[in-house]
Amino acid sequence: MARRELKSRNVLITGATDGLGLELAKAYASRGHRVVATGRQLLSNDLDFFGSPNISYIRADQSEPEAAARAIAQAMEKFQWQSLDLAILNAATGWTGHAADETPEQISDQITINLTAPVLISKAIAPLLFAAKGQLVMIGSTAAKGQSQFATYAATKAGLEGFVRSLREEWRTRAHVQIIHPGPTRTKMHAKAGLKTGFVRMFFMPTKRAVRAIQRSIRNRDGKRVLSKTYGWSSIFSSAKEGEL
Amino acid sequence: MKALITGAANGLGRAMTDQLLEAGHEVWAVDRDTDALDDLAIKSRGSCRVVLADLANPSSIQRLLRDVKDVKFDLVVLNAGISATGRFEEIPGAAYEKLIAINLTAPLVVASQLMRQNNMAPKSQIVFISSLSHAVGYPGASVYAATKDALAIYAKSVRKPFKKRGVGVTAVFPGPIRTEHAERYSPKDAKANKRMLPEDMAKLILKAASKGKKELYAGKGAGAAKFFGKLAPNMMSKMMRKVIFDKLDSNTY
Ligand SMILES: NC(=O)c1ccc[n+]([C@@H]2O[C@H](COP(=O)([O-])OP(=O)(O)OC[C@H]3O[C@@H](n4cnc5c(N)ncnc54)[C@H](OP(=O)(O)O)[C@@H]3O)[C@@H](O)[C@H]2O)c1
Repeated sequence: MARRELKSRNVLITGATDGLGLELAKAYASRGHRVVATGRQLLSNDLDFFGSPNISYIRADQSEPEAAARAIAQAMEKFQWQSLDLAILNAATGWTGHAADETPEQISDQITINLTAPVLISKAIAPLLFAAKGQLVMIGSTAAKGQSQFATYAATKAGLEGFVRSLREEWRTRAHVQIIHPGPTRTKMHAKAGLKTGFVRMFFMPTKRAVRAIQRSIRNRDGKRVLSKTYGWSSIFSSAKEGEL
Repeated sequence: MKALITGAANGLGRAMTDQLLEAGHEVWAVDRDTDALDDLAIKSRGSCRVVLADLANPSSIQRLLRDVKDVKFDLVVLNAGISATGRFEEIPGAAYEKLIAINLTAPLVVASQLMRQNNMAPKSQIVFISSLSHAVGYPGASVYAATKDALAIYAKSVRKPFKKRGVGVTAVFPGPIRTEHAERYSPKDAKANKRMLPEDMAKLILKAASKGKKELYAGKGAGAAKFFGKLAPNMMSKMMRKVIFDKLDSNTY
């Protein structure tokens, strides 16, 4: 038991109330790691929602980046975390349609939630990450190469990539900074963004497989990883050793 | 021709504004620097329409959009930008919020709303000023780099849908320019003569826009930077770290 305690790590996952974030939180918690999970919702009972005592939920709505970053830093202080081994900044929102129909509010919401918030959260958790020589992981998207159906969303993900690319060099000796770009995945994100995917959804990667692929990429300490179909498939055969992330 | 230029009062924006005015075009010059705007109004002997707007402020952007509601622009250059250089974790969060608002949110909002309000003339051009950092990375200015990459990808994303409505999109990736902006954010020992003059850069950008070019990599070493940035991105960012980040001795924002 004591040995297990020693090996359990501190993990932060933003946007962990649905989709990839939720599954990632459950996966790390099930291996005995301590997880701080965040989201914009008010949950009445964390244990009922997540089904694991290893997951603590913090409400940190990223449409207020400064407040969200503060809430996360305060939570870690409250839990007396001296270090942070892994932070997965995953929360995001999207909007789809013709770029000329996007309202200023829709543009600014996506930029605030998907880019400004991860920047400010990274800053807030930097001391704890440095203390563990931990890993900072951004969840991007293959849309970061450009997407006419969701131009602003694509831009925010490209912004994360640019951020990671430069910060990785800056932090080289202090923490590992990486970005993982999932392709289309079968979460509820598209419906939330107002996109009807129809039968095309069949070709999307199942959420469980994407979650395995993300964990594998984190174990590999990749700099940048695109979750291709092949990488997704072969990730089925990759699993964490005891105590590993 | 009618043109709208943001960040028009100083540096590169001013050079583009001067050149357009010189050629007899009508220019709406947007800036927050009142003194420089006054100077522009006086020197152009009233031919330049100066618009005071703070692009970090959403309601100021809305007012700008209302002011130009009935104008049809042939050229829009979204040029206004600031930076923040130093150690990422030491720069205040508010500086990053402002940086992202001015460099990213403002140009996206202005571009999409001008399209929505039917402000763009047929066969007109929207120009986004990104940065050469899109090719090489920018350790010591990771959030600036983020905004410029985001802008580049927005330009790429809207190119087709805007084209369908008769509006071309140019993305510009300028290397170092000899402006106050560059002086302010560079390491102290950086050589000024390695930077292009704003007038020369302005000329190249206006030419690319008039030809409807999709992309322009301009400035000293821009071609090589683009080439090696694509070929060996990690090596380039590592080199950028050595020539910039390791030499920055203070935070500027
Ligand atoms: N699904 C795909 O095809 C796909 C492809 C490429 C990249 N991605 C990326 O993968 C990540 C996870 O997406 P997903 O597919 O798992 O989507 P998802 O199921 O919608 O999950 C997104 C999570 O972020 C949360 N969130 C949204 N707005 C927030 C805010 N303002 N503050 C805090 N949390 C907020 C959501 O909360 P709620 O539960 O309240 O909605 C949810 O927990 C995102 O970064 C997304 O961009 C997804």
